[in-house]
Amino acid sequence: MNTKKGVILAFLIALGIVFQLIESFFPIVMVVPGYKIGIANIVSLFALYAYSPKDMVIVTTGRIFLASLLQGTLFSIAFLLSVSGGLLSMFAMILAYRSKIFSIYGVSILGACFHNVGQVLAITYIYQQYFMQLFLPILLALSIVSGLCIALLTRQILLRMKGKLGLWKTSI
Amino acid sequence: MRKADKILIVSIMIACLVLIIPIMQNAPVSKEAVVQVKNKEVLRFSLLENANYAVDGTLGKVSIEVKDGAVRVKQENSPHHYCSKQGFVDSVNTPIVCLPNETVVRIEGQEDGEDVQIQ
Repeated sequence: MNTKKGVILAFLIALGIVFQLIESFFPIVMVVPGYKIGIANIVSLFALYAYSPKDMVIVTTGRIFLASLLQGTLFSIAFLLSVSGGLLSMFAMILAYRSKIFSIYGVSILGACFHNVGQVLAITYIYQQYFMQLFLPILLALSIVSGLCIALLTRQILLRMKGKLGLWKTSI
Repeated sequence: MRKADKILIVSIMIACLVLIIPIMQNAPVSKEAVVQVKNKEVLRFSLLENANYAVDGTLGKVSIEVKDGAVRVKQENSPHHYCSKQGFVDSVNTPIVCLPNETVVRIEGQEDGEDVQIQ
């Protein structure tokens, strides 16, 4: 990792933190509790496509830790949910990216879905109750929408940034 | 957007529908209400038929009304009348508690039923 890339990754983490903080200020209160679009995922997806899966892991874990540190929720339940969802969605996104079957839309939707799955699993483990599983189908259906939004935005960003940060090989 | 993406979206939608079916079926059907006075069960009645019941609370009679699958405390003797102000309740998760009378009216779902009764 050279200095330029390190700086860009740091900027991406900072941007992700800002996205996450702003989003937590304006919760989209819907019928389903805990639903967010997850604008911060733009940064992760960007890192995945502009650089490599390894860089996405750096950006995502850095964002989760630092954002919860700034929000004051480090090692709380909200943080555990964020980590479990983030880890599972990263895993799914890397697998989908490596398989080269899906375009950026599929990768993003899979990430969003597995984020929800991870959170529901963590809630079930922490509270030992199954009520959140009632929301899983609705959350999954909504994650298609949010995944598509994120993919659309990231694709536009990647297309506009092409050639400025160095080329990437994978087709979007 | 590739073909695989569309297949993925459709399969997730199908998964949602499949997941929602057992949840719909397992939704607890509330049928019975239990009245406890001083932690002892004194009355158990069905919510399917409209009726009026009365139990002896600490401060006097507590009259309970059942109407259209919901239950309420109609009349009771207590300083603030919280439980009669609460009105009709039809959820398993909301008990009617009348602390001065030490009376609790609770709706039992099918899931919480007793397995075996040993006497």
